[in-house]
Amino acid sequence: MRVVLGFLFTLAWVVYLGGALAMELVWRPVQRDVPPSQTGAMCQWMGRRYRWIGLGALGLVAVTWSGWRALGSTVLVASSPDIPAPPPAAVGWSVATTVACWGTLVALVLAMGVLLHPRSHARWRAGADSATAAAARRRRLRAIRVMGVLLRVELAVALSATALVLVSAGPRLGWAA
Amino acid sequence: MTATWVQVLAGYLHLLAVAVYVGGSIAMEFVLGPAQSYVPPAQAQVIGQRSADRFLVLVWGALALFPISGLLLFFSLADQQKLSGMQFFTTRYGQTLLGMIVLWAVLVVNGAVITFVLRPRLAQRASAQGGGAGVTQRLEVMQSAIKWVSLITRIDLGIAVFIVLLGASMAYGDGIL
Repeated sequence: MRVVLGFLFTLAWVVYLGGALAMELVWRPVQRDVPPSQTGAMCQWMGRRYRWIGLGALGLVAVTWSGWRALGSTVLVASSPDIPAPPPAAVGWSVATTVACWGTLVALVLAMGVLLHPRSHARWRAGADSATAAAARRRRLRAIRVMGVLLRVELAVALSATALVLVSAGPRLGWAA
Repeated sequence: MTATWVQVLAGYLHLLAVAVYVGGSIAMEFVLGPAQSYVPPAQAQVIGQRSADRFLVLVWGALALFPISGLLLFFSLADQQKLSGMQFFTTRYGQTLLGMIVLWAVLVVNGAVITFVLRPRLAQRASAQGGGAGVTQRLEVMQSAIKWVSLITRIDLGIAVFIVLLGASMAYGDGIL
Protein backbone atom coordinates (compact mmCIF):
# COMPACT_ATOMS: atom_id res chain seq x y z
CA MET A 1 0.00 0.00 0.00
CA ARG A 2 2.81 2.38 0.93
CA VAL A 3 4.57 1.70 -2.36
CA VAL A 4 1.40 2.12 -4.43
CA LEU A 5 0.49 5.41 -2.74
CA GLY A 6 4.04 6.70 -3.00
CA PHE A 7 4.20 5.72 -6.67
CA LEU A 8 0.88 7.35 -7.56
CA PHE A 9 1.73 10.48 -5.57
CA THR A 10 5.11 10.89 -7.26
CA LEU A 11 3.66 10.10 -10.69
CA ALA A 12 0.84 12.63 -10.31
CA TRP A 13 3.24 15.34 -9.16
CA VAL A 14 5.79 14.77 -11.93
CA VAL A 15 3.02 14.71 -14.56
CA TYR A 16 1.77 18.07 -13.32
CA LEU A 17 5.20 19.68 -12.89
CA GLY A 18 6.59 18.23 -16.13
CA GLY A 19 3.54 19.36 -18.07
CA ALA A 20 3.95 22.91 -16.76
CA LEU A 21 7.67 22.84 -17.60
CA ALA A 22 7.03 21.53 -21.13
CA MET A 23 4.44 24.22 -21.79
CA GLU A 24 6.81 26.95 -20.61
CA LEU A 25 10.07 25.68 -22.08
CA VAL A 26 8.79 24.03 -25.28
CA TRP A 27 5.40 25.37 -26.37
CA ARG A 28 5.79 29.04 -25.38
CA PRO A 29 9.00 29.63 -27.43
CA VAL A 30 7.67 27.63 -30.39
CA GLN A 31 4.35 29.51 -30.58
CA ARG A 32 6.18 32.81 -31.15
CA ASP A 33 6.95 31.67 -34.71
CA VAL A 34 3.43 30.41 -35.44
CA PRO A 35 0.74 32.64 -36.99
CA PRO A 36 -1.70 33.90 -34.27
CA SER A 37 -4.76 32.26 -35.82
CA GLN A 38 -3.06 28.85 -35.77
CA THR A 39 -1.69 29.41 -32.27
CA GLY A 40 -5.25 30.21 -31.21
CA ALA A 41 -6.62 27.01 -32.75
CA MET A 42 -3.96 24.87 -31.07
CA CYS A 43 -4.20 26.70 -27.72
CA GLN A 44 -7.96 26.23 -27.61
CA TRP A 45 -7.65 22.47 -27.90
CA MET A 46 -4.54 22.20 -25.71
CA GLY A 47 -6.06 24.34 -22.97
CA ARG A 48 -9.11 22.10 -22.73
CA ARG A 49 -7.08 18.92 -22.55
CA TYR A 50 -4.36 20.31 -20.28
CA ARG A 51 -7.00 21.58 -17.83
CA TRP A 52 -8.25 18.01 -17.25
CA ILE A 53 -4.74 16.55 -17.04
CA GLY A 54 -3.71 19.26 -14.55
CA LEU A 55 -6.80 18.92 -12.38
CA GLY A 56 -6.62 15.12 -12.52
CA ALA A 57 -2.98 15.14 -11.43
CA LEU A 58 -3.65 17.60 -8.60
CA GLY A 59 -6.67 15.53 -7.53
CA LEU A 60 -4.55 12.38 -7.44
CA VAL A 61 -1.90 14.24 -5.42
CA ALA A 62 -4.58 15.15 -2.84
CA VAL A 63 -6.07 11.65 -2.69
CA THR A 64 -2.74 9.84 -2.32
CA TRP A 65 -1.45 12.40 0.17
CA SER A 66 -4.60 11.99 2.27
CA GLY A 67 -4.11 8.23 2.03
CA TRP A 68 -0.65 8.63 3.48
CA ARG A 69 -1.97 10.81 6.26
CA ALA A 70 -4.59 8.15 7.03
CA LEU A 71 -1.85 5.53 7.20
CA GLY A 72 0.06 7.78 9.59
CA SER A 73 3.08 7.70 7.31
CA THR A 74 5.42 10.29 5.91
CA VAL A 75 5.48 10.52 2.14
CA LEU A 76 9.14 10.35 1.32
CA VAL A 77 11.09 10.83 -1.84
CA ALA A 78 13.88 8.74 -0.38
CA SER A 79 14.62 7.85 3.18
CA SER A 80 16.29 5.49 5.53
CA PRO A 81 14.04 3.82 8.11
CA ASP A 82 16.79 4.45 10.68
CA ILE A 83 16.44 8.22 10.43
CA PRO A 84 14.28 9.61 13.24
CA ALA A 85 10.99 11.35 12.46
CA PRO A 86 11.11 15.15 12.08
CA PRO A 87 9.94 17.32 15.02
CA PRO A 88 6.17 18.05 15.15
CA ALA A 89 6.70 21.79 14.45
CA ALA A 90 8.51 20.97 11.22
CA VAL A 91 5.73 18.56 10.26
CA GLY A 92 3.03 21.18 10.95
CA TRP A 93 4.83 23.81 8.91
CA SER A 94 5.41 21.32 6.15
CA VAL A 95 1.72 20.30 6.06
CA ALA A 96 0.58 23.94 6.00
CA THR A 97 2.98 24.78 3.17
CA THR A 98 1.91 21.77 1.13
CA VAL A 99 -1.80 22.48 1.53
CA ALA A 100 -1.32 26.18 0.71
CA CYS A 101 0.68 25.41 -2.44
CA TRP A 102 -1.79 22.75 -3.55
CA GLY A 103 -4.73 25.13 -3.01
CA THR A 104 -2.94 27.87 -4.97
CA LEU A 105 -2.25 25.53 -7.87
CA VAL A 106 -5.85 24.29 -8.01
CA ALA A 107 -7.10 27.90 -7.91
CA LEU A 108 -4.73 28.88 -10.72
CA VAL A 109 -5.70 25.93 -12.94
CA LEU A 110 -9.40 26.65 -12.35
CA ALA A 111 -8.97 30.39 -12.99
CA MET A 112 -7.21 29.67 -16.26
CA GLY A 113 -9.37 26.74 -17.36
CA VAL A 114 -12.81 28.01 -16.41
CA LEU A 115 -12.46 31.79 -16.61
CA LEU A 116 -9.58 33.01 -18.75
CA HIS A 117 -9.30 30.27 -21.35
CA PRO A 118 -12.91 30.57 -22.60
CA ARG A 119 -12.53 34.37 -22.61
CA SER A 120 -9.36 34.19 -24.69
CA HIS A 121 -11.26 32.30 -27.41
CA ALA A 122 -14.52 34.23 -27.21
CA ARG A 123 -16.05 35.23 -30.54
CA TRP A 124 -18.19 38.30 -31.06
CA ARG A 125 -21.34 38.21 -33.17
CA ALA A 126 -21.04 39.08 -36.86
CA GLY A 127 -23.60 41.86 -36.53
CA ALA A 128 -21.94 43.52 -33.53
CA ASP A 129 -21.03 47.21 -33.88
CA SER A 130 -17.38 48.27 -33.92
CA ALA A 131 -17.38 49.47 -30.28
CA THR A 132 -18.68 46.09 -29.05
CA ALA A 133 -16.18 44.21 -31.20
CA ALA A 134 -13.31 46.42 -29.95
CA ALA A 135 -14.33 45.87 -26.34
CA ALA A 136 -14.54 42.11 -26.90
CA ARG A 137 -11.11 42.15 -28.56
CA ARG A 138 -9.66 44.08 -25.60
CA ARG A 139 -11.16 41.56 -23.15
CA ARG A 140 -9.71 38.73 -25.19
CA LEU A 141 -6.23 40.23 -25.30
CA ARG A 142 -6.35 40.97 -21.58
CA ALA A 143 -7.35 37.34 -20.87
CA ILE A 144 -4.43 36.08 -22.98
CA ARG A 145 -2.00 38.43 -21.21
CA VAL A 146 -3.22 37.48 -17.73
CA MET A 147 -3.10 33.79 -18.63
CA GLY A 148 0.53 34.16 -19.77
CA VAL A 149 1.42 35.66 -16.38
CA LEU A 150 -0.59 33.07 -14.43
CA LEU A 151 1.11 30.20 -16.28
CA ARG A 152 4.47 31.50 -15.08
CA VAL A 153 3.16 32.00 -11.54
CA GLU A 154 1.79 28.44 -11.62
CA LEU A 155 5.17 27.05 -12.66
CA ALA A 156 6.97 29.11 -9.99
CA VAL A 157 4.56 27.87 -7.28
CA ALA A 158 4.93 24.25 -8.44
CA LEU A 159 8.74 24.49 -8.45
CA SER A 160 8.76 26.25 -5.07
CA ALA A 161 6.34 23.70 -3.60
CA THR A 162 8.69 20.90 -4.59
CA ALA A 163 11.65 22.68 -2.97
CA LEU A 164 9.76 23.87 0.12
CA VAL A 165 8.40 20.46 0.95
CA LEU A 166 11.79 18.83 0.49
CA VAL A 167 13.48 21.44 2.68
CA SER A 168 10.78 21.44 5.34
CA ALA A 169 11.13 17.71 5.83
CA GLY A 170 14.66 18.37 7.11
CA PRO A 171 17.04 15.43 7.33
CA ARG A 172 14.18 13.09 6.56
CA LEU A 173 14.23 13.84 2.88
CA GLY A 174 10.81 13.78 1.34
CA TRP A 175 7.30 15.16 1.29
CA ALA A 176 5.20 16.52 4.09
CA ALA A 177 4.06 14.16 6.79
CA MET B 1 26.97 22.30 2.57
CA THR B 2 25.74 19.84 5.13
CA ALA B 3 24.61 16.37 4.20
CA THR B 4 21.00 17.51 4.66
CA TRP B 5 21.33 20.21 2.04
CA VAL B 6 23.03 17.84 -0.34
CA GLN B 7 20.09 15.46 0.15
CA VAL B 8 17.56 18.21 -0.51
CA LEU B 9 19.43 19.44 -3.59
CA ALA B 10 19.91 15.92 -4.93
CA GLY B 11 16.28 15.01 -4.25
CA TYR B 12 15.07 18.19 -5.93
CA LEU B 13 17.19 17.66 -9.04
CA HIS B 14 16.20 13.99 -9.23
CA LEU B 15 12.51 14.83 -9.03
CA LEU B 16 12.92 17.66 -11.54
CA ALA B 17 14.61 15.28 -14.00
CA VAL B 18 11.77 12.75 -13.60
CA ALA B 19 9.20 15.54 -14.05
CA VAL B 20 10.86 16.78 -17.24
CA TYR B 21 11.11 13.27 -18.67
CA VAL B 22 7.76 11.75 -17.65
CA GLY B 23 5.54 14.84 -17.38
CA GLY B 24 7.15 16.45 -20.42
CA SER B 25 6.69 13.29 -22.51
CA ILE B 26 3.03 13.06 -21.52
CA ALA B 27 2.47 16.73 -22.40
CA MET B 28 4.25 16.32 -25.73
CA GLU B 29 2.54 13.05 -26.61
CA PHE B 30 -1.00 13.71 -25.41
CA VAL B 31 -1.35 17.51 -25.52
CA LEU B 32 1.01 19.17 -27.99
CA GLY B 33 1.15 16.27 -30.48
CA PRO B 34 -2.60 15.84 -31.11
CA ALA B 35 -3.10 19.65 -31.15
CA GLN B 36 -1.00 19.82 -34.31
CA SER B 37 -3.86 18.29 -36.27
CA TYR B 38 -5.70 21.63 -35.84
CA VAL B 39 -3.26 23.49 -38.11
CA PRO B 40 -2.33 22.90 -41.78
CA PRO B 41 0.07 19.93 -42.28
CA ALA B 42 3.04 22.06 -43.43
CA GLN B 43 2.75 24.28 -40.35
CA ALA B 44 2.22 21.20 -38.14
CA GLN B 45 5.49 19.75 -39.45
CA VAL B 46 7.38 22.95 -38.58
CA ILE B 47 5.80 23.09 -35.11
CA GLY B 48 6.49 19.39 -34.54
CA GLN B 49 10.11 19.75 -35.59
CA ARG B 50 10.80 22.84 -33.46
CA SER B 51 9.03 21.52 -30.39
CA ALA B 52 10.79 18.15 -30.72
CA ASP B 53 14.17 19.89 -31.07
CA ARG B 54 13.57 21.86 -27.88
CA PHE B 55 12.16 18.87 -26.00
CA LEU B 56 15.11 16.67 -26.98
CA VAL B 57 17.45 19.15 -25.26
CA LEU B 58 15.35 18.83 -22.09
CA VAL B 59 15.27 15.04 -22.41
CA TRP B 60 19.06 14.78 -22.70
CA GLY B 61 19.45 17.16 -19.76
CA ALA B 62 17.11 14.96 -17.69
CA LEU B 63 18.90 11.77 -18.75
CA ALA B 64 22.22 13.32 -17.68
CA LEU B 65 20.74 14.56 -14.41
CA PHE B 66 19.38 11.12 -13.39
CA PRO B 67 22.75 9.48 -12.62
CA ILE B 68 24.32 12.68 -11.22
CA SER B 69 21.50 13.44 -8.77
CA GLY B 70 20.97 9.72 -8.12
CA LEU B 71 24.60 9.23 -7.08
CA LEU B 72 24.45 12.38 -4.96
CA LEU B 73 21.29 11.08 -3.29
CA PHE B 74 22.78 7.64 -2.82
CA PHE B 75 25.93 8.88 -1.09
CA SER B 76 24.23 11.67 0.90
CA LEU B 77 21.76 9.15 2.33
CA ALA B 78 24.72 6.92 3.25
CA ASP B 79 23.10 4.06 1.36
CA GLN B 80 26.44 2.71 0.12
CA GLN B 81 26.60 0.37 3.12
CA LYS B 82 23.57 -1.40 1.66
CA LEU B 83 25.52 -2.26 -1.47
CA SER B 84 28.91 -3.43 -0.25
CA GLY B 85 30.35 -6.54 -1.90
CA MET B 86 27.84 -8.62 -3.83
CA GLN B 87 24.82 -6.95 -2.24
CA PHE B 88 24.21 -5.12 -5.51
CA PHE B 89 23.06 -8.43 -6.96
CA THR B 90 21.78 -10.31 -3.94
CA THR B 91 19.65 -7.79 -2.00
CA ARG B 92 16.27 -6.43 -3.09
CA TYR B 93 17.59 -2.88 -2.74
CA GLY B 94 20.58 -3.65 -4.96
CA GLN B 95 18.51 -5.49 -7.55
CA THR B 96 16.03 -2.60 -7.74
CA LEU B 97 18.84 -0.09 -8.22
CA LEU B 98 20.43 -2.33 -10.84
CA GLY B 99 17.09 -2.59 -12.64
CA MET B 100 16.77 1.20 -12.64
CA ILE B 101 20.28 1.62 -14.03
CA VAL B 102 19.66 -0.93 -16.82
CA LEU B 103 16.37 0.75 -17.78
CA TRP B 104 18.05 4.15 -17.73
CA ALA B 105 20.64 2.76 -20.17
CA VAL B 106 17.78 1.59 -22.42
CA LEU B 107 16.34 5.12 -22.36
CA VAL B 108 19.75 6.54 -23.33
CA VAL B 109 20.08 4.08 -26.24
CA ASN B 110 16.52 4.84 -27.43
CA GLY B 111 17.20 8.58 -27.07
CA ALA B 112 20.35 8.22 -29.17
CA VAL B 113 18.43 6.29 -31.85
CA ILE B 114 15.77 9.02 -32.03
CA THR B 115 18.29 11.90 -31.97
CA PHE B 116 20.96 10.58 -34.31
CA VAL B 117 19.13 8.14 -36.60
CA LEU B 118 15.44 8.97 -36.87
CA ARG B 119 15.36 12.76 -36.40
CA PRO B 120 17.78 13.46 -39.29
CA ARG B 121 15.51 11.36 -41.53
CA LEU B 122 12.52 13.46 -40.48
CA ALA B 123 14.42 16.68 -41.15
CA GLN B 124 15.00 15.72 -44.80
CA ARG B 125 13.29 17.90 -47.36
CA ALA B 126 11.42 16.24 -50.21
CA SER B 127 13.20 17.76 -53.20
CA ALA B 128 12.70 17.14 -56.89
CA GLN B 129 16.15 15.51 -57.06
CA GLY B 130 15.82 11.95 -58.35
CA GLY B 131 12.44 12.65 -59.90
CA GLY B 132 9.04 11.49 -58.69
CA ALA B 133 10.37 8.13 -57.53
CA GLY B 134 13.00 9.90 -55.36
CA VAL B 135 10.36 12.08 -53.71
CA THR B 136 8.12 9.08 -53.06
CA GLN B 137 11.03 7.15 -51.59
CA ARG B 138 11.94 10.03 -49.27
CA LEU B 139 8.35 10.42 -48.14
CA GLU B 140 8.24 6.69 -47.37
CA VAL B 141 11.45 7.01 -45.33
CA MET B 142 9.94 9.96 -43.44
CA GLN B 143 6.67 8.11 -42.78
CA SER B 144 8.58 5.12 -41.47
CA ALA B 145 10.72 7.39 -39.24
CA ILE B 146 7.59 9.08 -37.84
CA LYS B 147 6.13 5.67 -36.96
CA TRP B 148 9.34 4.56 -35.25
CA VAL B 149 9.74 7.81 -33.30
CA SER B 150 6.16 7.52 -32.07
CA LEU B 151 6.60 3.85 -31.09
CA ILE B 152 9.94 4.39 -29.30
CA THR B 153 8.59 7.49 -27.51
CA ARG B 154 5.68 5.50 -26.10
CA ILE B 155 7.94 2.61 -25.10
CA ASP B 156 10.26 5.12 -23.38
CA LEU B 157 7.32 6.62 -21.53
CA GLY B 158 6.29 3.17 -20.30
CA ILE B 159 9.86 2.42 -19.21
CA ALA B 160 10.12 5.78 -17.41
CA VAL B 161 6.87 5.17 -15.52
CA PHE B 162 8.15 1.72 -14.54
CA ILE B 163 11.39 3.32 -13.30
CA VAL B 164 9.28 5.64 -11.11
CA LEU B 165 7.53 2.53 -9.75
CA LEU B 166 10.90 0.91 -9.01
CA GLY B 167 12.07 4.13 -7.34
CA ALA B 168 8.91 4.23 -5.23
CA SER B 169 9.40 0.61 -4.19
CA MET B 170 12.95 1.51 -3.12
CA ALA B 171 11.97 4.70 -1.31
CA TYR B 172 8.81 3.48 0.42
CA GLY B 173 9.54 -0.23 0.72
CA ASP B 174 12.41 -2.69 0.48
CA GLY B 175 12.72 -2.56 -3.29
CA ILE B 176 11.68 -4.80 -6.23
CA LEU B 177 8.05 -3.69 -6.05
